[in-house]
Amino acid sequence: MARYVLTREGEHYLKTGLPEKNLVDVLKAGPLTLKEAERRVEHFNVALLWAKKKGWVDLKFDNLVLIRPPHSVMEQDALRKVESGEELAPEILDNLLQRKLIEKVISELEEVKKMAGKEVLHLTKDLIKTGVWQQVRFKHYDVTIPGKRVHVGKTYPYKAVIDDVREKLIGLGFVEEKSPYVELNFWNADALFMPSDHPARGIHDIYSIKKPKHGKVLDKNLWNRVKATHENGWKTGSKGWGFWDAELAKTLILRSQTTALSARILSKLKKEDVPYKMFIIDKVFRPDVLDAKHLVEFDQCEGIVVDEGLSFKHLLGYMKEIAIMLGAENIKFKPSYFPFTEPSVEAYVKFPKLGWMEIGGAGIFRPEVTKPLGVDVPVLAWGIGIGRLAMMKLGVSDIRYLYSDNLGWLRNKEVIR
Amino acid sequence: MPTVTYDKQDLLNLVGRKLSDEKLEEIINSIKPNVEKITKNDIVVEHTADRPDLFGIEGLARAIKEYLGIKTKKFSIKKSNVKVKCSKIDYRPYIACAVVRNVKLNDYFIKSLMNIQEVLHETFGKKRKKVAIGIHDFDKIGHSIKYVGMKPETKIVPLGSRKEMSLKEVLEKNPKGKEYGHLVSSHKLWPIYIDSKGVFSFPPIINSDRTKVTDKTKNLFVELTGTDKKAVLQTLNIIVSNLAERNCKIETVQVSYDGKKEITPVVKEETMDVSLEDANKLLGISLNEKKIVELLGKMGYDAKAGKNKITVNVPFYRSDILHPVDIIEDIAIAYGYNNFEPELPKVATIGKAHETEKLSSRIRNLITGLGFQEISRYVLTNTEKQFEKMRNKKEDVIELENPVSKEYSCMRKYLLPGFMEFIFSNMHHDYPQKIFEIGDVVRLDSKSEVGARNERKLCCSISDTKVSYEDISSVLDSFMKTFGISYMLKAVDHPSFIEGRSAEILVNGKEVGIVGEINPHVLTNWKIEMPVAAFEISVDEF
Repeated sequence: MARYVLTREGEHYLKTGLPEKNLVDVLKAGPLTLKEAERRVEHFNVALLWAKKKGWVDLKFDNLVLIRPPHSVMEQDALRKVESGEELAPEILDNLLQRKLIEKVISELEEVKKMAGKEVLHLTKDLIKTGVWQQVRFKHYDVTIPGKRVHVGKTYPYKAVIDDVREKLIGLGFVEEKSPYVELNFWNADALFMPSDHPARGIHDIYSIKKPKHGKVLDKNLWNRVKATHENGWKTGSKGWGFWDAELAKTLILRSQTTALSARILSKLKKEDVPYKMFIIDKVFRPDVLDAKHLVEFDQCEGIVVDEGLSFKHLLGYMKEIAIMLGAENIKFKPSYFPFTEPSVEAYVKFPKLGWMEIGGAGIFRPEVTKPLGVDVPVLAWGIGIGRLAMMKLGVSDIRYLYSDNLGWLRNKEVIR
Repeated sequence: MPTVTYDKQDLLNLVGRKLSDEKLEEIINSIKPNVEKITKNDIVVEHTADRPDLFGIEGLARAIKEYLGIKTKKFSIKKSNVKVKCSKIDYRPYIACAVVRNVKLNDYFIKSLMNIQEVLHETFGKKRKKVAIGIHDFDKIGHSIKYVGMKPETKIVPLGSRKEMSLKEVLEKNPKGKEYGHLVSSHKLWPIYIDSKGVFSFPPIINSDRTKVTDKTKNLFVELTGTDKKAVLQTLNIIVSNLAERNCKIETVQVSYDGKKEITPVVKEETMDVSLEDANKLLGISLNEKKIVELLGKMGYDAKAGKNKITVNVPFYRSDILHPVDIIEDIAIAYGYNNFEPELPKVATIGKAHETEKLSSRIRNLITGLGFQEISRYVLTNTEKQFEKMRNKKEDVIELENPVSKEYSCMRKYLLPGFMEFIFSNMHHDYPQKIFEIGDVVRLDSKSEVGARNERKLCCSISDTKVSYEDISSVLDSFMKTFGISYMLKAVDHPSFIEGRSAEILVNGKEVGIVGEINPHVLTNWKIEMPVAAFEISVDEF
């Protein structure tokens, strides 16, 4: 059984009326010039052709005249019937097919029936619908051949490790903070009580900016407290360094440690914000030459805990908790040195299968750091070697893989679990 | 910080006790330095910057002895009648000297003398710029010792040579002269030590051959020069405190600056009070005064228990003690870091991700869902890549004053150039290549106190044998619609894109990014042989 559907033109005429009928309608009010009729009737050429053929209108001189208006228009009725799936008389069917207002839909059934008893490649919707699937044989595949590889859209491997650590730190109650890559020397070092002539502040250890060269420290009181602390210890109980280079403090650099953010945060911390826990995972920049062990920029992960009554014992407690969170099964502590903390500690942890590795450093901020920043309670500071941790998790020994530009490696790397 | 290789046998001789490798490593690690390796003959130790008094083998041995409770020698110093006149040399004004008697040289001692000079030159001395050390046979030195500036034509017989040459020739011909000559070469007069017999030192370059230390040397003359008085004096203190550990007798020298007399080395034991309460509070333990005095003894301090406080004598070579917290750390070290009971305080706070990272995570999920592989490029780049190769005119970016290489000399403002580089290096991999990055760029911002700010951006690209504007604009549209952001595209001609095939992305009438098909000129600049369509958009205001 054949089935018919409307063509686009047919659909259009069903909505707007057949053009010849529309022409008849406008002529009912009286003859029109060709030009005028063309202006008023859509698809005028089609309308004129069929209206003349059917003997409804005629052309007298330049005017179109209605000569025999039709009682009904057969095609109009037929289009409606096709749309609602009703059957048509053969003459009108041919007429519509000829005018390309409808088209025949080839019956899938006929095609599908031909497949009975044969071997087929694909099971199709028609095979299922018609039940013919019961009369075919399906070609056997070599199901042991692995499928063709599709490239999955994936997170960058190192970012996945960072995201994992981020999630865990948030779980431990730490708030994530950020600060800009371009930083004042003041926040990167001076506010952290690193002396102006500290070895890590030389031109071989820190990037300085060509333009602009200097930035501003908006809090003048803070500026003066830091200055006094360097020069003579201020009210911190320290001897101080005996000197301070104010010009250097004003210069702009690329931050070489995320601790710059800790100094910024502490300077704005209010009494009612305590207890407070913050962390950052972001880039720092040091003038190293790119090789298997050094990147031109790398990530640091560190945090602070600020509260009344915190002690070294609690610092070790946090290091242990963070190590457990990262999957370590044992931790050992060792004295260490950071210019801005005292006491300072380094933590070594043991991971199942992978063994011992240094995981990071920590300490309690020196009074020369906290007091000028306006903080009178202990501040525990810790850092995790996130790059080293990622290398371990990714199973790579060349640090450049943390910024791999090898699409093949990225596509083939298994996801971090 | 410095990594120093010591002779294991010499170290054990100085300690005066037999210790297994494991025990030795454990003790040194407990004090603070880090043992990197112990072999049959050597022990390699990485030091921290705060303890230069441990850099020398004798200082390290002293700390081990104290830690083990072995009695150490009390440092004493005598006055000598040796005088040095110091004239004004602006660019290297400070000196310090000492006489060392009763020197019994052997191979260990000579090696140690060389090592300590080398490590102090590298660290404290800032490669001899800040401090330089010269050690001479005192008995070969004449009278009337002076430190003066002399013309480059002045003659010296440099160490290891028999031929007299001018200081200028030393700079041209001698390896040390070539290495350190830049520290004096731009000046008219060069610093030398001279005595009745002639020039015997050309700091910071080389000693004279006449006063060289040999196996017959009985007494030493130590001279230092430098640009920082404090550092010069501290360095001398470290050297003499080390030599005293080898039973040498230290004597002072009178240095006179334009009539002003000073005695070096300056050996002053300072005292510092540590409050019992502060110590226990900071460490989270409860020790009494007596126990703290005992622990401080292990760390080489002479301490006395008072009422609720401990009065501590700080050894003259401990230049790192600025505040009582520095002494409290040593109490913790003597107590043993691994003897503390780690405790997690109950600090109730609510954790939270930064908004930028939260947003980035959501964007990342969405774009990976569209089948794109995330990449990560350096923020550091250069202006040729950022602008010229993209056919863009140069814009203001953060440029570095002291780049290590031309390759990394400015901060990126656009992500797209990094994509071009990436696509070029991956032309041998399967296509289509659909990649994205979400990361920070840096823009100048005069309103910021640092003159710049970070901006979070997203860049996506498709590269294939055939790729069209519609391929990328549909990704953009899916992304924007899913994020619920209404946007408009405004046709714009941009030199990086094919004419008639790029548009500005507008959100609330503001331009936030660009989308289009990369211009073949640009592709050729990057040697890319496949068409690329991409968009780059700032997400900060999403």
